[in-house]
Amino acid sequence: MRIFLEQMINGLTIGSFYALIALGYSMVYGVMKLINFAHGDLFALGSYLGFTLLVWGNAYVTTNFGLAGGMIAAMLIAAIGIGMAGILVERIAYRPIYPAGRLPAVVSALGVSIFLENMIMVIWGPRYQAYPVNVVPTVRFEIGGIHITLLQIIILILSFILLAFLYYIIQKTTFGAAIRASALDRDTAALMGININTVIFFIFALGPALGGTAGVMVGMYYRQISFTMGWNYGLKAFTATILGGIGNIPGAMVGGLLLGIFEMLGSAYISTAYKDVFVFLILILVLIFRPRGLLGEKIAEKV
Amino acid sequence: MKSIKYLLIISLLVFALGVTYSGVMAAEKPPVVIGLQGPITGAWAYEGQMAKQSCEIAAQLINEKGGILGGRMIELRVADDACEPKAGALAAMKLISQKDVVASVSTYGSSVCEPASNLYEKFKKVNIAYGATAVRLTERGLKYFFRTCGIDSAQGIFFADYVPRVFGAKRIAIMHDNTTFAKGVAEETKKSLQPKVDAGEVEIVYYDAITPGEKDFSVPLTKVRETNPDVLYFTGYYPEAALIVSQARDIGIDCPFVGGNAAINDEFVKIAGIEKAKGCFMTQEPMPAELPYPESKIFLEAYKAKYGEIPSSPWPVYAADALNIIAYAIDKTGSTDSDILAEYLRNEVDGVPGITGSIGFTEKGDREGVPYLMYVVNEEGGFDIYEE
Repeated sequence: MRIFLEQMINGLTIGSFYALIALGYSMVYGVMKLINFAHGDLFALGSYLGFTLLVWGNAYVTTNFGLAGGMIAAMLIAAIGIGMAGILVERIAYRPIYPAGRLPAVVSALGVSIFLENMIMVIWGPRYQAYPVNVVPTVRFEIGGIHITLLQIIILILSFILLAFLYYIIQKTTFGAAIRASALDRDTAALMGININTVIFFIFALGPALGGTAGVMVGMYYRQISFTMGWNYGLKAFTATILGGIGNIPGAMVGGLLLGIFEMLGSAYISTAYKDVFVFLILILVLIFRPRGLLGEKIAEKV
Repeated sequence: MKSIKYLLIISLLVFALGVTYSGVMAAEKPPVVIGLQGPITGAWAYEGQMAKQSCEIAAQLINEKGGILGGRMIELRVADDACEPKAGALAAMKLISQKDVVASVSTYGSSVCEPASNLYEKFKKVNIAYGATAVRLTERGLKYFFRTCGIDSAQGIFFADYVPRVFGAKRIAIMHDNTTFAKGVAEETKKSLQPKVDAGEVEIVYYDAITPGEKDFSVPLTKVRETNPDVLYFTGYYPEAALIVSQARDIGIDCPFVGGNAAINDEFVKIAGIEKAKGCFMTQEPMPAELPYPESKIFLEAYKAKYGEIPSSPWPVYAADALNIIAYAIDKTGSTDSDILAEYLRNEVDGVPGITGSIGFTEKGDREGVPYLMYVVNEEGGFDIYEE
């Protein structure tokens, strides 16, 4: 039981990384019907941006605003920076070729992914980089035999705040309704007076911004980042998106968290070496029985 | 146009040949050419560069004493294999096809050494590896292949003797990453611990593999923690080793951590952070600075005089020893014939003083008795020999 609870906490921690990244895929897919393959690399870029901020700016910020200030500043700046990068990617790589159809846009997305990965390698070098140690003090709690670190608690709280915030925007505000309307039917939404360009601008800023924040969190959690990390996390988050139902915002959150938990429990009780097999097996099962994902809505077939 | 291009190329070639030829003619006695195949470029370039510098120093020291075979100088010819198997085969062919290359120091990586040594074997040229430690390399029954470095399994044997004796460890956890190298060390460790296990002195409480490239080891480490080990031995590479140490400490594993010779280096200290890295152990060949032999003192002084600092990894000095032993064999046999040299190296060379200790080869071509040491990461992130 102790091990089970501990693995649940670990699973929730990485699950919240997946959920934050998955949101970017899901939002873009919902409105644009495009799988933004560059999203994983935007996440990696966020991780590196946070790394540079913490290495170069940490001394100044922490002396003036404390440790928490340094961390939050790094996340905020990374989020803003990656949000802008997301908008830039949309402007340069997707918008000009979007009229040509969905397939060229996907190829373009892959191109951006390769470009970003190599850009990171050129700027920060091909070696592993390590996040500074002092960002969050290494404090370890033991509650009823369960080990949990302060950093884990911070990450869990922060990502749940972010997820709740996004959920609120999408489900409760007028603008969120506009996004959901555009996801349902772009053309009709446009006819109803929704400015599609504003919606696209918004999702390409918000999705990568969340991804960038997740990048900083991953960097602080594992402390080791490499320029190829975007691919791995991107693939897992994409899986989470499919699992929850692509295009569905709460689905992406649920899918991400579930994926993290499955992964941890799978490796704890079945085999560490086969943990990815276990994850994808679940994905296949879900797709067989619920092809639109766990929370994906059934759509009426067009006649 | 095309014919003009060819004409140009041919004339250039003729010119180049002419220059080389006149160069050879100018020397009174032709030099003895020894090849060096190593990763001069690529990811392991610093290893190849230091090996080249080490061989240059070794050749320089021999030449200063008047060379070999009554006054013939040693000349080093370098071929770059970039630590890639394909490039390694090309580099080997480059050295083989030059008839004046007597023998070759080749090479650093095991996976590169394997195809390259097959080629050397086919064309009958003595080749001595300086960093290729995979056990299987000498299991192929090659006639012309030797190595001055140790083999992977030797590290496991060292661990099995040292850790129960010095640390008093009874419950031992062993972790590898399924790569040929790490698995080889782990298996040899297990095998060498077996007599002690049978006698009931120690217990292997955990033996499993993790996936290389993985970042989250909380699950395997939780399992390790449940076995309550006295020592955790990880035989894989530093990116995983650093994360393992750091995550192990987070979930409450406080036993000593021992890494194999690929697990602990400066990058390890950087990633794990000095707080968690200090006090970690490593089983390794002696670093150049710790070599106690008179030959090593002379060599390292000459190296430092020319390049400012001594080699920062254990391997380059093995390259120098490989060159030395080739020169020694040529000098003693008075021959540059591959068969005579291979025969002499295998059967006659024994206890020849070298930079890394006395040199001798087993029937398979392995180096006899390479010493290992236990290192510990100190407060500054440097590496000290652990005092028993």
